[in-house]
Amino acid sequence: MKLPTELNKIWAFATRSLLVNRRNVFAVFEMLFWPLIGILSVGLLTRFLRLEADIVTFVLIGAVSMNVIQIAQLDLSYSLLYDVWSKSLKHTFIAPISLTHVLVGAGLVGLLRGFLVFLVMGLLSMWLFDMDLSRPGLPGLLIFLLGLFLNAAIIGMSVLALVLRFGHRSEVAAWSFSYLLFLLCGLYYPVTILPAGLREVAQFVPLTHFLDYFRHFYGFPLLSPRPLVYGFGQSVIYLGLGYLLLRWTLAGALRRGTILKLSE
Amino acid sequence: MQPAIEVQGLYKSFPTGFFKPPREVLQGLDLEVAAGSIFGVLGPNGAGKTTLISILTTVLLPDRGRAAVLGLDVVEDAARLRERINLAASSARFLWTLTVEECLRFYGRLYGLGGRVLADKVEELLHLFRLTTHRRTKFESLSTGLKQRLALAKALINTPELLFLDEPTSGLDPEMARHTQEEILRLNRDTGLTILLTTHNLREAEMLCSGVTFLKDGRLLATGTIPELQARLGLGDRLSLTFKNGVPPLDYQRLPGVLSAEVRDSQVLLVLDRVETRLALLLEEITRQSPHPPEVRVKEADLEELYREITH
Repeated sequence: MKLPTELNKIWAFATRSLLVNRRNVFAVFEMLFWPLIGILSVGLLTRFLRLEADIVTFVLIGAVSMNVIQIAQLDLSYSLLYDVWSKSLKHTFIAPISLTHVLVGAGLVGLLRGFLVFLVMGLLSMWLFDMDLSRPGLPGLLIFLLGLFLNAAIIGMSVLALVLRFGHRSEVAAWSFSYLLFLLCGLYYPVTILPAGLREVAQFVPLTHFLDYFRHFYGFPLLSPRPLVYGFGQSVIYLGLGYLLLRWTLAGALRRGTILKLSE
Repeated sequence: MQPAIEVQGLYKSFPTGFFKPPREVLQGLDLEVAAGSIFGVLGPNGAGKTTLISILTTVLLPDRGRAAVLGLDVVEDAARLRERINLAASSARFLWTLTVEECLRFYGRLYGLGGRVLADKVEELLHLFRLTTHRRTKFESLSTGLKQRLALAKALINTPELLFLDEPTSGLDPEMARHTQEEILRLNRDTGLTILLTTHNLREAEMLCSGVTFLKDGRLLATGTIPELQARLGLGDRLSLTFKNGVPPLDYQRLPGVLSAEVRDSQVLLVLDRVETRLALLLEEITRQSPHPPEVRVKEADLEELYREITH
């Protein structure tokens, strides 16, 4: 295995993703319009409800997190969907690439786009709604962002697995799954208000712990003693399981002829 | 010399739904393709040609049997094999928003190329397939012919040792089809590249392929060179000799190259393996018996006939 060769394969997916994003006006729309709408609608709602500053921050952290995750996971999900939509999937898999090249290459662009969304939304929140993003300090901020990207990677890998198993009809179902996670993790409310049963389920969503960690800088009590251990621990487990699931679905796709069907 | 492709007892079926029997697409295929040759796989739609190519290019796993390409097992050594092969499929499809040049760069990178090596290779292929003026055209804006040219260019991006061509000239205008065929022959001649192609164009197979195999319902019906298959099936060039002064008394069946002979009144109908190499000697033999030369009509054998004979 030669490093430059491997880097070129990763770069292939990253550059393709960048090119498509650059050319597609809707990709820019996706990155600016929805986050803007998200932050404005949530922010204005907090104004209307006359919420206290720390509660506003609590809610805005949720809005920022959701948009960052949604944008970052899209690039991962799109990495193979581009091939599915253009019916060129078999040409990609005839080449000597592995899932790692796809995931890392597209993931890098997701990271970049997610970071830009975070900047846009963070600055808007600071400017329009007096949110203080500096309170957690740079390490706290970076750890939280890393947590968001890990969650995006988990969702993106799940979408990819579903696409390889069921074809592009599964896209909507896959993305709906991410909203279910947002509901569980306490995006706009503490998970303690979830009904019993769901509250326990929420503990198995890494985003719950990253939100818990980040919000504690704003004076909200920690719900678990070691949120980062749970957050990163669960993320690593889910990413590992996600990778195995992807490999398994790819092997199934090679056996069932799904790659050919998706190229017709 | 090790064959470029070795297939033994290859089976593949696809599920058709719950409680329904699977559809058997390949049923115990055996095949051997010599290194450095251009080999054709012919057969009607649904014969299993694409399934065979898909297994050989590692994007489909067989149910049973063994297939090795360039000495590498298509299942066990798939990753290493992919470095050394490539494919151009009919009805070329790539990401619509990428330009011709970006498309080649993307696939080049998938094979690990980068920097100067990739830039040079892309330039070489753009020039070779007359795509230089279209380098900044998006794939979605290309004509069918240009898309097909791009597909061929992409198939050579990694300088493969074995190239799979799935109906390479389908959709091309006659001039471009001829250019592509010449290019395929040149590649094979100059670089020793082994090529396995599927085609519906029997003339194309005749022009390009040193060996062919006929596939129907997932089974190989016949394999060999075209002259071999002609001889085996008694098909060949048809020669009609009409004598004004009666048919000379000769044992036509025993003349060299004659596959079959029939005498009808003043006419002799012969089927020859190769008319161009046999005709002169044959006429010499006949004129020894009869001073009056016959009227000669030749109908060269075509693959259509061979195809009909084998697949029906």
